[in-house]
Amino acid sequence: MKKIVVDYDLCEANAFCTKHAPELFRVEDNDTLTVLNDQPGDALIGKAEKAVKYCPRGAIKLVEG
Amino acid sequence: MTSKLADIDLFTPIMYEQTGVPHEAFTTLRKESPVYWHQNAGIRPDDGVPHRGFWAVTKYDDIVRISKDPGTFSSARGGTNAEDYHEEDLSQIQILMVNMDPPDHVKFRRLVSMGFTPRMVSKIEPKVREAARNIVDAIIEKGSCDFVRDIAAELPLIVIADLLGVPQEDRQKLFDWSNRLIGFDDPEFQTSIVDAREAAQEIWMYANQLAEDKKGKGGDDFVSVLIAAEIDGEQLDEMQFDAFFLLLAVAGNETTRNLISGAMRALLENPEQWAKLKADPSLVTSATEEFLRWVTPVNYFRRTATKDTEIRGQKIKENDKIVMFYASANRDEDVYKDGQKFDIARTPNDHLAFGIGQHFCLGNGFARLEIRIMFEEIIKRLPDIQMTAKPRQLRSNFINGIKEMPVKFTPGKKLG
Repeated sequence: MKKIVVDYDLCEANAFCTKHAPELFRVEDNDTLTVLNDQPGDALIGKAEKAVKYCPRGAIKLVEG
Repeated sequence: MTSKLADIDLFTPIMYEQTGVPHEAFTTLRKESPVYWHQNAGIRPDDGVPHRGFWAVTKYDDIVRISKDPGTFSSARGGTNAEDYHEEDLSQIQILMVNMDPPDHVKFRRLVSMGFTPRMVSKIEPKVREAARNIVDAIIEKGSCDFVRDIAAELPLIVIADLLGVPQEDRQKLFDWSNRLIGFDDPEFQTSIVDAREAAQEIWMYANQLAEDKKGKGGDDFVSVLIAAEIDGEQLDEMQFDAFFLLLAVAGNETTRNLISGAMRALLENPEQWAKLKADPSLVTSATEEFLRWVTPVNYFRRTATKDTEIRGQKIKENDKIVMFYASANRDEDVYKDGQKFDIARTPNDHLAFGIGQHFCLGNGFARLEIRIMFEEIIKRLPDIQMTAKPRQLRSNFINGIKEMPVKFTPGKKLG
């Protein structure tokens, strides 16, 4: 089972993850990121992978968890 | 039309001035040699440093992979320009964040990134709108102007000057310094590397004075916030602040100016797209991304291999130079259907004009805001704008820039 891991030192609230996977990520009004669900499962793994790929800072990883 | 592999030259600056970004060469390379050993053009006459060849990387996926692996592909070792440097110049550029690696880079960027969040960007939107209106007011009764100097250059300067607290009367200084620092290959802007060093010194003295004036006063302007920022007990010291000021004065200025000019040119050369945008100004958001993809104001950045490695099966040796051509990635056939077509409604459009990875352009939010607002203003008030002469291209392999673009339009009324 893949798990979402965010490096908050790299996150800059660009919100590309929110765009590609709104079920999994939300950038708040105060520019902080909330991971809504760190276990995407089969249904959302595609979107999770998009978020990983398109995060411009490379702040998101999918790890075996 | 494609180029013969043997004839390819991606380096000679005067070629860019004469024929623009070498997209035909990029197309050939993507197809026939995506990791291509490029001989350098030789020694720059005034600095006596022999310039080595480099690996020209032209595919989107390879550039993404390289950009996301700073451990293997360093920004600090050798810097991020294609040229090789004297040791003393190299150590001077290594204090710019763009030429740093983790962990220094991560720390430094964390300190300054607080000024660049979506919230900080939206705070200045009303000011940017007012500035755009004033810019058009300044020329609208004349019926003609130089688009680059009078329209495109103004807005980024105003935003940076405002962020840095540089007063109105010093803005021209910023413009001059920036040209002297980045226009190294174009004799109109700069005579030598010596002049670039002098311009850097002048900016440093100015930044120093500015920081002195603000220190300890507890202001909430961008500079005061930067000086006061603290992470894990660490703050920006004077030299780091000066270096950041320099980076900002250059990075946020030239690039956006050249994007706005290049985009206007693209619209005027593709009149159906310009008509489409004017008919539906809500397209300005997707148009902004297409402007970025099409113009790609920063043509490339370079990395240096920290160990033996490979890219797409091509063996790379430690210390080899790798040059990532974003302009090519943004036309990659494996990513873009009809990439050679300028389409303001293109979606998706995950271009690399701002790079990707840890060095992803920090100013991207400000840039996108400026571009959108400037074109909203142009659409509204200069709808019949036309070029009256061929635009003059910057002599540079690094920046896709336009130096001068004379235009005319039906005169109108000031609004402010």
